[in-house]
Amino acid sequence: MTYHPTSRREFIKVGVLGAGLTLAESLRLKAAEPRPVAERSAILVFLKGGPSHQDMFDLKPEAPAEYRGEFRPIATNVPGVEICEHLPQLARLADKYVILRSVSHNLADHGLGSRYLLTGNRPTPVLRYPVYGSVVSKVLSSPQDLPAYVAIDEDLEGPGFLGAAYGALATGERPRFGRPFSVRGITLDEGLTLSRFDRRRKLADEVDTAFRGFESLDDHVAGLDRFSRQAYEIISSKRSREAFDLTREKQVVIDRFGREEAGQSMLLACRLIEAGVRFVTVIVDGWDTHNNNFRELKTTLLPQFDRGFSALLETLEDRRVLDSTAVLCTGEFGRTPKVNGGAGRDHWARAMFSVFAGGKLGGQALGRTDATAAEPVDEAYTPDDVAATFLHQIGIDPHSEFPATSGRPVQLVRDGNVIKAIAS
Amino acid sequence: MSRWAAVLALVFIVGRGQGTSAESPILAPASERFADDAGPETPDFQRHVSPLLGRLGCNGRACHGSFQGQGGFRLSLFGYDFAADHAALTTGVGQEKAPRIDRRDPAASLIVAKPTMRRDHEGDRRFDEGSWQERLLLRWIEAGAKSASPVRRLLRLRVEPTELVLTRQDIFRLQVVAEWEDDTREDVTCLCRFQTNDDGIATVNDTGVVRAVGEGDTHVVVFYDNGVAALPVIVPLPGAGGAAPNAEPGAGQIDQLIAAKLHKLGLVPSSVCGDAEFLRRASLDITGTLPTPAEVERFLADHSAAKRSAKVDELLKTSAYAAWWANRLCDYTGNNPGRQPDGPIGQQQAFQWRAWLHRRIAENAPYDELVAGIVLATGRSAGQTYDDYAREMSSYLRKQDPGDFAARETLPYYWARRNLEKPEDKALAFAHSFLGVQLQCAQCHKHPYDRWTQTDFKHFAGFFNGVKLGVAPESRTAFERIASAAGQPADASKPAPVSQEAAARAEEGQVVAWRELYVDAAQVSRGDQRLLGDSVRVESGGDPRAVVMQWMRQPENRYFARAFVNRVWANYFHAGLIEPVDDLNLANPPSNGPLLDYLTEGFVSSKYDMRWLHREIATSLAYQRSWVPNTTNAGDRRNFSRTIPRRLHAEVLYDAWKQTVASDGDLVTVRGNLERRAIGELATRMAGVYSHRIFGQPERLVACDCERSNSPSLLQAIFVQNDPLMYARLNESGWLEEIGARLADGIADNDPVPGDLIRQAYLRTVSRPPTAAETDAAARYFDESESLGEGLKDLLWALLNSKEFLLNH
Repeated sequence: MTYHPTSRREFIKVGVLGAGLTLAESLRLKAAEPRPVAERSAILVFLKGGPSHQDMFDLKPEAPAEYRGEFRPIATNVPGVEICEHLPQLARLADKYVILRSVSHNLADHGLGSRYLLTGNRPTPVLRYPVYGSVVSKVLSSPQDLPAYVAIDEDLEGPGFLGAAYGALATGERPRFGRPFSVRGITLDEGLTLSRFDRRRKLADEVDTAFRGFESLDDHVAGLDRFSRQAYEIISSKRSREAFDLTREKQVVIDRFGREEAGQSMLLACRLIEAGVRFVTVIVDGWDTHNNNFRELKTTLLPQFDRGFSALLETLEDRRVLDSTAVLCTGEFGRTPKVNGGAGRDHWARAMFSVFAGGKLGGQALGRTDATAAEPVDEAYTPDDVAATFLHQIGIDPHSEFPATSGRPVQLVRDGNVIKAIAS
Repeated sequence: MSRWAAVLALVFIVGRGQGTSAESPILAPASERFADDAGPETPDFQRHVSPLLGRLGCNGRACHGSFQGQGGFRLSLFGYDFAADHAALTTGVGQEKAPRIDRRDPAASLIVAKPTMRRDHEGDRRFDEGSWQERLLLRWIEAGAKSASPVRRLLRLRVEPTELVLTRQDIFRLQVVAEWEDDTREDVTCLCRFQTNDDGIATVNDTGVVRAVGEGDTHVVVFYDNGVAALPVIVPLPGAGGAAPNAEPGAGQIDQLIAAKLHKLGLVPSSVCGDAEFLRRASLDITGTLPTPAEVERFLADHSAAKRSAKVDELLKTSAYAAWWANRLCDYTGNNPGRQPDGPIGQQQAFQWRAWLHRRIAENAPYDELVAGIVLATGRSAGQTYDDYAREMSSYLRKQDPGDFAARETLPYYWARRNLEKPEDKALAFAHSFLGVQLQCAQCHKHPYDRWTQTDFKHFAGFFNGVKLGVAPESRTAFERIASAAGQPADASKPAPVSQEAAARAEEGQVVAWRELYVDAAQVSRGDQRLLGDSVRVESGGDPRAVVMQWMRQPENRYFARAFVNRVWANYFHAGLIEPVDDLNLANPPSNGPLLDYLTEGFVSSKYDMRWLHREIATSLAYQRSWVPNTTNAGDRRNFSRTIPRRLHAEVLYDAWKQTVASDGDLVTVRGNLERRAIGELATRMAGVYSHRIFGQPERLVACDCERSNSPSLLQAIFVQNDPLMYARLNESGWLEEIGARLADGIADNDPVPGDLIRQAYLRTVSRPPTAAETDAAARYFDESESLGEGLKDLLWALLNSKEFLLNH
């Protein structure tokens, strides 16, 4: 797969390496990797802080009490797959997702771990890798009157070497039930009506005459002109305004997702995808449970996540977009096998989970960890593999290359391989 | 900082330029000499076999140059690791140990059987059976397949002609001659790789045939051994030529050098721009700040002939100039609060860094001295005791009567950054900051666009080996004493960054212990060292960084002054003379070499006077060109025949928004208070926030000028049209409030006149008075609006969204 270079830095240095196979092609030949599927939209649910793997999707009821913690596993609708008792809704839906239990790395620091999981590349001082949503904005086309990539509420890592043009529209806040939700850049200022905005816009067209007739002369002139028109389309488009407007949902749907920020954010993600946005990141905060891990999980984090994530999968399916959407839910690492003195668990990167859904995936739990959920046994997967698989599910070759710093060709995912047992 | 000077002896071993007095004959091309089955001459591994494999693409990244090799055969990427490549061919490497040659039956060698497709080859056919390429390889194998030892030095790659002027569809066959240190000369055209830097202007095929395909100019680049030569190719517009035009009135050296190039291309420069446009442009470029309405009016009313150069001088003396250039130097040197040595006070250290640069720019310190203060930085100054050092560093945090960090002789944070612990990372950062060179490639393989090899990189990184952040042996006792007194971890062998608690103590006036930047003599590589193409000597006891600094200050240094001149040039135009600005390499020559030479030499002979450089550029006619093209130059982007409009930088825009809505009374503070300016202290605070990220302000996390972007994007357009921050600017505008108050006070005489308001709105944003038609249109809009105040707010919104505002033009 090759892409048209845009800036001169990209332009001069591309294609110097001669004819023959592209690196991506040759690597694929070597690894016999599956070819990318058709293009899909995507949702990344990022459980920020490091969700406790052994208290959610990888319970160890046989482990000593100081390891296994307070929760019991329950059966799911897939025989042999068990998850935490506080995820009952998700237990009904295990045929709609794949649990990857043996993800492992060694960066147990929030900043570095997040950067790793959000880009699929180990952090390096030489290069900033793009987040998945930026890759999608760069590679896949999207409707004119919608932003390609929306982050609820912020874009944690950014577009890296792909450049500022491929960043997320960050909503700046999370929707909360019963409160007005304003989306940066989409919601009009208080008291400003669409007709006044239209009137302003007409005035702007009248005022902006200096470059008239020269709109295509230079990149920046042409860019400002084009993006200004598209921005206006998005701001004034009924489709985009309605996609961001959660009050248009029936009460029963709103309640199905849960009224908290987590559920409402996932409802918003669902609406955006349904409307045609290509990539949505949902940040769900609060998983850094150094203290009172069990109380936090049981009373707040797990019920909210259970409601929100199960509603997301079911609603995507009801609205017939689950097949055309790739979903990944992950944190930056797992938590320590042994419970600490404050009934909490600390940072632990050697074992963690990621959950894949969407497409036609489901009904699997892949990978195993040892008796205390401390280390993978048999096959371990890296965040790079998770990233490669996610991009593959979206329909993007994870080994495709883009020119980075000084035109050097860089693969989107340097070290990962598509997990064949998941790829569809 | 000169404490090492006494013990330093710098020896430059003369490298290039020892030309042969009587030139030896040129050997015929390998394609002729090795075309037969046998002959007296043996192909040479370095001169023939290795370049041939490069030419055929065998050592490319997608083929055997891949780090994993291909099909069990691996060559060094882009060649020049002769020992490894020879071993790979003759004995094989790795588990399989499959040699690619067969000495007993040369024709059965994989190195000929595969590329001719006698044996299956994933990389397809590279040459035919019976071709000279095959014979060259066979004759090398038959003669014993000898290696390249010793490696010989290529003195020069000479391309004939030295400049190519073609008309469209013309073709021209290049001849390339290699000149070796043993005086031999050989036609190596058939062994070179060729590349065009712009295939919209000229293409080049793999035999060196250049074809002109469009008007303009570019370079065709030739690669052979470690030589890289760039040949200018010019394709003039139809009708170009004829006598050179007379010099324009006011044309200086810059303009004459540009005119010479434009004449070759058949381009006519655009006319000189108007006064208002010049003032706006110069204010933005020199000071990162919009002019005030009053300043515009004054400038337009001034009829003196020298008012533009007087304005340039005036702007260069403002503190905004120092702020804007401190900010740019913070970019080049990587000033990021998250990477400072002492995490909890990273933001303060970033401020100190900025202030240190600001002071020197405001005082117009010579650029080489400024850089020496960074490059040769140490924690303690010459003769300073550790106790004094700890006292000094603590004083900068002190709330009462803080010390003046900018007065420090050196800036130690550059080397002390947390992402620069390894010497390799220091080398990469240094090459980027001060040489404008991207060395990453050479870290792992031969640089594809320059002569640098992995060995060059290793030697270069060696200069930074001993640069340490810690506690020097002679400071240990004092460190441990102060640290335990201040309740800090006191083990001098494992010194910790200053903690939040220690910083709080220092704020109260207590002296706390600090790590120091020092050179660990035990780790310094001594003796003869290669320094990016030159040879230098590091004497024992010396700071190797001083050798590097002295090397940079040599007038013949090709990087240090040029890199800065090129960056300054790029600040005033849309692009550098070399572009990308931080990618100086042999394959990426300047668009106007004589111009870059002139400015570089002038800058060096002015004793690195930064103001001289700015003034020289900003007073040239080239800088004053209109962006409006004529019939010849709409397509010119690299020869400066017109101004190319470019979006305002993130910080400049942020400050401009504030300035355009400020009340008349607040204007001075809004512009002048650098603590509240995004080009001033807010720069490190705001890097990474949403607005600054989408407008491309660099976070200074990677060594690349490309981290800053001023390309327009959709999110930016959404932002200026509809972001809460933009609404806040308008809703809280001091100026609009003043107008509102005058309208509301009921005194008819005090009511603002619509025409005046319209004029003010234009002056505030696009820095020019409105035309009569614009005034009429806006007045009509006001009439149809709910109120004059609301109409004015809409007009301001419209102006802030105009291309004329968002662009520097």
